[in-house]
Amino acid sequence: MTLSARRDVFQAIADPTRRQIINLVARKAMNLNTITDHFEISRPSVSQHIKILTECGLIEIEKVGRERYCKVQPNNLKTVSDWIEQYRDLWEEKLDSFETYLNKLHAKRKKK
Amino acid sequence: MSATNEATNRTLTLKRTFNVPVKLVWEAWTRPDHIAQWWGPKGMKTKIVEHDFKVGGKWKYTMAMPDGSEFISDGVYSVIIALQKIFSSANFKPMTEGVEIQALFEANGEKTNFTFNVVHPTEEYCKQQEKMGGMKGWGSVFDRLESFVATLSKI
Repeated sequence: MTLSARRDVFQAIADPTRRQIINLVARKAMNLNTITDHFEISRPSVSQHIKILTECGLIEIEKVGRERYCKVQPNNLKTVSDWIEQYRDLWEEKLDSFETYLNKLHAKRKKK
Repeated sequence: MSATNEATNRTLTLKRTFNVPVKLVWEAWTRPDHIAQWWGPKGMKTKIVEHDFKVGGKWKYTMAMPDGSEFISDGVYSVIIALQKIFSSANFKPMTEGVEIQALFEANGEKTNFTFNVVHPTEEYCKQQEKMGGMKGWGSVFDRLESFVATLSKI
């Protein structure tokens, strides 16, 4: 099994620098130099992070003339939020249950 | 995603206003005899195995499944400020591990504004993904829980 085959979006966002890169280019497509300017780490390290982000499908490289711009791929980022959202129903249910119990308890206490 | 920071992206937030004073909300949320009544999905019995309600104290609740397996929730309290907030680490086995849950209470006259956050750690999730072999593992657990809850509502 190759390393790249195991990469997914969650692995991509597990690293703080990569999360920052996503935040940066989410606002505006940027070339490597501009991205590097935002970090203290070297250009090759930034480049390596971008490579991983590209492999995970979170970032796309677009060539404009001689420049290469990094752009986010919002659909793949959505995988991350969907994963968190799947828990929402479970928690809503728990809070429903809490609220029902709470109202019963409140009614009982008032009677006393 | 652009304007939000990364912590927001891994946090699930639920907000409620309860028509009950904060003192009672706090009591119902924190006392084990109350928790046993509401923690589990409808009809599911919750056993409070441990409930050491103090900073650094452990809590552990179990729910028995009809097939004999158990859903275990446990964690350690990290912040407790009476009538205001409770932070705790939490594991919901076998579904998710290493999340932080934050319960925030705010008195609003005779009502209570309640905010509940679940902060998911991406690093942990990744490790787990590898162990479980991707989304499949998650799907089956949810299906199992869902079908179980569906059975209950028919009774």
